[in-house]
Amino acid sequence: MEGALMATEERSAKSDHADSSTGMLELRDIVKRFEKPGQGEILVLDEVDLDVEAGAFVSLLGPSGCGKTTLMNVISGLIEPDRGTMRRGGRDVSPDDLSLGYIFQEPRLLNWKTVRGNIEFALEARDVPEGEWDGRIDRYLDMVNLGDEHDNYPTRLSGGMKQRVSIARALAIEPEIMLMDEPFSSLDEITARDLREELLDIWKREEKTIVFVTHDINEAVFLSDYIYMMNTDGEMFARREVDIDRPRQYDDPDIAKREAELYREFHEHVVD
Amino acid sequence: MDRLTRYLYTVASIIALLALWYVGGVTLPEVIPGLPETYAALVVVLTTPGPYGNMFYFHVWKTIEMLFASLFVSMIAGTVLGVALGRNETLESTLATWIYAWLAIPSLVIVFVSAIWIGFDASSGYFAIPLVITPFVGLNMWEGTRNLDTDLAEMAEFFGAGRIQTFKDVVVPQLAPFLFASFRSGLSIGWKITLLVEAFLLTRGVGFMFRRYFDQYDLPTMMSWLIIFVVFLIVVEYGVLAPLHERVMEWRPEAEGVRVTE
Ligand SMILES: Nc1ncnc2c1ncn2[C@@H]1O[C@H](COP(=O)(O)OP(=O)(O)OP(=O)(O)O)[C@@H](O)[C@H]1O
Ligand SMILES: [Mg+2]
Repeated sequence: MEGALMATEERSAKSDHADSSTGMLELRDIVKRFEKPGQGEILVLDEVDLDVEAGAFVSLLGPSGCGKTTLMNVISGLIEPDRGTMRRGGRDVSPDDLSLGYIFQEPRLLNWKTVRGNIEFALEARDVPEGEWDGRIDRYLDMVNLGDEHDNYPTRLSGGMKQRVSIARALAIEPEIMLMDEPFSSLDEITARDLREELLDIWKREEKTIVFVTHDINEAVFLSDYIYMMNTDGEMFARREVDIDRPRQYDDPDIAKREAELYREFHEHVVD
Repeated sequence: MDRLTRYLYTVASIIALLALWYVGGVTLPEVIPGLPETYAALVVVLTTPGPYGNMFYFHVWKTIEMLFASLFVSMIAGTVLGVALGRNETLESTLATWIYAWLAIPSLVIVFVSAIWIGFDASSGYFAIPLVITPFVGLNMWEGTRNLDTDLAEMAEFFGAGRIQTFKDVVVPQLAPFLFASFRSGLSIGWKITLLVEAFLLTRGVGFMFRRYFDQYDLPTMMSWLIIFVVFLIVVEYGVLAPLHERVMEWRPEAEGVRVTE
């Protein structure tokens, strides 16, 4: 564990000279407070540090309400932190400098547009030349196995299909880093397992970096290279590696073992 | 229900109404204008020559002109007002009470006051009618704006959609049902106020016709004018509003509101 952390530090030191569009994304001392009616100010993110290595699958694990979505919103630029810095390749960066895709906790589709129209919305917003639209739409809808649903409306799709449209929409803008906020937590386990496999395929093939939020320890262990753990006080209290060979199996005893260890650690930090 | 059954029910209801009317006219001739007399009066109204070819064209057109011009103004003013209220909390808390006060002013008072301020001509109609309808539209659009989905706004912001794209693809579709509801209530309220204005202040239009034949105690002719305008409003609803609503709401999985086309 110590070794892994030191290796990370070394790498970040070296990347000082690298271009700011590559290399590790480092968040430092992110603080965010919210006004809560009747409760005054609550501290949602308390000096949070986060390292996202290029090409890694990183999970953010924490109980409901601990500030996971808030942190994703900070990275994506939807909310401004009260304090803290974001650096990449040794340079300060703002969310606008990053190539990001965001899969929200809910699908957030435009119900009055077809599946194709929803992806076109993102492509238009990102100023992707119109000549590329059809190619990208076909490619990414096929990737999430929705090749036949171009002209269907979201209101006629199942929950899992909507979530996949939302994934295709994020992929279609061809981001380097994908932010995924509990994308599978509202799905049944069978569908979720299928989608996780698909996601890992895409991650490997497309060489994406993924920041994945979840409150499911098993899911985090199955998917991630390393896991950040948060508690309800808004503290990021640990970073833990998952050194299990891929492709991983759900019934692999190593996964169960890692899951149990992390659960124990979680329990100690969150309960006392 | 399939199209044919629906159609049959509509026809049956019209026949039943006509039958009831006929029986009523025979048994209570003092109160209900007889069906044959009304038919005869209607034929007279429809065939009397006048400006624009037929006399009724002129009066119906004048009423339509005033009604739709007022609706047009009210839809714009009410939407701007409602959206402003829904988006701006300061404005909302400053103005909310006054909107309700405005709604509480009887339309008749607004019509009379306009006549005193502006005079007994069409301009007071163009002033009074929008003044009556606008708060209804405003109230509807206010509600619609409060219901705008902030998650979708965030999504649009994240993908970097500009103001125009966001307005066109995210805001307007969410406001569409409220725009339809506003237009429908504006139409039905506006038509009544237009009649009031014409009956009290003017010498043309369907409302004036009502007063003229009221003064002559001519119930069948009053009835004819009512029929003409009600038919017109039904044509607007079924011929324009309903199909348009249907098209705009095509994405909805279940039928919503009136569904006239299959
Ligand atoms: N816009 C906001 N204004 C005020 N408080 C907020 C806002 N957004 C989030 N909060 C508060 O911040 C805390 C963290 O919220 P957040 O959505 O980040 O949690 P989360 O970890 O994503 O939870 P979940 O797993 O349930 O999605 C909560 O207490 C929430 O009430
Ligand atoms: Mg969340």
